[in-house]
Amino acid sequence: MPARTARQRDAWAFMGPGVAVVLLALYIPVLYTVYLSFTEYDGLGDPTWIGVDNYVEMFHDPAILLSIVNTLAWVLGTLIVPVGLGLLVAYLAYGLRGAAWLRVPFLIPYALSGVAVGVIFSFVLQNGGALSQALAFLNLPGSELRWLQDAPLNTIVMILAASWQGVGVNALLFTVGLQSIPKEPLEAARVDGAGGFRLFASMVWPLLRPTTTIVVGLSIVNSLKTFDIVQSMTQGGPNRVSETLGVTMYRETFLNNEYGMGSAVAIFLTVITVAASLIYLRRQLSLGDAAPKTDAAPKGARRA
Amino acid sequence: MTSKIIRYVILIAMGILWLLPIYLLLANASKLTSEYSGSNLWAPGNFPALVSNIVDVFTTTDVPSGLFITVIYAVIAPFIAVILGAAVGYAVIALKLKHGFFWFFVIFCGTVFPLQLMVIPLFAAYSQVGLFDTAVGMILIYSVVCLPFSAFVMRNFFAGIAESVFEAAVVDGAKPWRIFTQIYLPMSRSALVVVFILQATWVWNDFLLALILTQSSEIRPVMPMLQALQSVQGGGSAFTVLLTAALLVSIPTALLFGLSQKYFQRGLALGQY
Repeated sequence: MPARTARQRDAWAFMGPGVAVVLLALYIPVLYTVYLSFTEYDGLGDPTWIGVDNYVEMFHDPAILLSIVNTLAWVLGTLIVPVGLGLLVAYLAYGLRGAAWLRVPFLIPYALSGVAVGVIFSFVLQNGGALSQALAFLNLPGSELRWLQDAPLNTIVMILAASWQGVGVNALLFTVGLQSIPKEPLEAARVDGAGGFRLFASMVWPLLRPTTTIVVGLSIVNSLKTFDIVQSMTQGGPNRVSETLGVTMYRETFLNNEYGMGSAVAIFLTVITVAASLIYLRRQLSLGDAAPKTDAAPKGARRA
Repeated sequence: MTSKIIRYVILIAMGILWLLPIYLLLANASKLTSEYSGSNLWAPGNFPALVSNIVDVFTTTDVPSGLFITVIYAVIAPFIAVILGAAVGYAVIALKLKHGFFWFFVIFCGTVFPLQLMVIPLFAAYSQVGLFDTAVGMILIYSVVCLPFSAFVMRNFFAGIAESVFEAAVVDGAKPWRIFTQIYLPMSRSALVVVFILQATWVWNDFLLALILTQSSEIRPVMPMLQALQSVQGGGSAFTVLLTAALLVSIPTALLFGLSQKYFQRGLALGQY
């Protein structure tokens, strides 16, 4: 018995620091943000309790409502474009000679930061810039568009910029997923004459479900938090038309000194994000549990 | 056979399309401010101009000090996070902490909350206790933010190490600390490297925390500096210097990424974006 309690004390010596810093630096701030969201506070003096006023006001503020719509557009857009193209790239490249090299162009953007992507695309998309010139040269329509000034065009092109960055990582995840699909049923289906789209729809897609769940979950969670690219390309402008909730929270708090409203936006954003996370969190944790089960199987008596 | 050719054609065409923005970045970072004009955006640049622009970035902007301090953050903070995360995994798996999974879950949930939820109190608290705009403050917060993911990976990795390894060491009279540093950490070198690289990349590319918790040019990481450069210099000919700066701050992560692609692939399979 004493040996066991000593072991527990040792265990806490290893666990303690991690738990302590996470509670201190992540959980307490979260609670304080919850409190602030029910107050009016300009960063000076003391917060004044105003109940749910911030939340009520939030849903009557046209700029914030537009920000919610834009955020949903980001979620949908990044779900369709980078996830879809990522799957396409992974599936087309899978099994081809030199597949790793074919994927490289898509991986380079992933190594860049959101701000760097913002700088590059602000340059490409400036009025009369590289994209407009290319369209004019190819006699395609659109060269006169003001890509970053007009809504909803600016949100759309920023989603495409984020997609440019995001395809590679999704392709990688789908490649890992494809590699884990057992070869035999696929070969059998191929021998039976299934090919192309039918093979994909009837065999590959269902077997990829676990990967798809993770990719979709990550994509939703990350797009909800969109901040870097928008802040560096349009700062949410002009006139707040391209804001996402991440940018709105930053603006309300640190530019308008509306700490209470900024907190309420952050809480709203979090509630949606956590709900979306639940889609993939369970799967992620069960993936983690799979390891000990398989490894401990031969000497499993102890565990059980 | 034809289907294979079609697949190659589609992938190569898409790949070229994907490289065009990179080409535009390189081409225009390699033009002197005097050579740059709105009408030759697609023309290639030249190497001497690129060198001259790099010199410009290093002599006329804050980017060099930003690069220096960001290297410090991106090395130290992930290192702390990896060790703390390994300690957490070790406590749960090897030392069988009572309710270990619950406490592990408490730490893991730190990845679920968006950073936006914490930055307001962090900013207020940092201002109060004097950590705002300090290197120590940045290292602290980056370490904590990186901790949940590293605890997640290390717990999974340790779960794959046979229990008999630990028991045998105990029988030999080794203390838990020695078993941790002499056996568990060396055995998990590959996982530690994966986590370190992923988190270093994250710290390097961070914008939100950097923007909110720092102010002075000696402390501020490089991403908010790049963005500030954009709002000052955006438009006009100074685009060449701005693009060169964007290129410079991207090289470290691109190199790290290229050199360790297979590590990344392994890390990604674990669920980190």
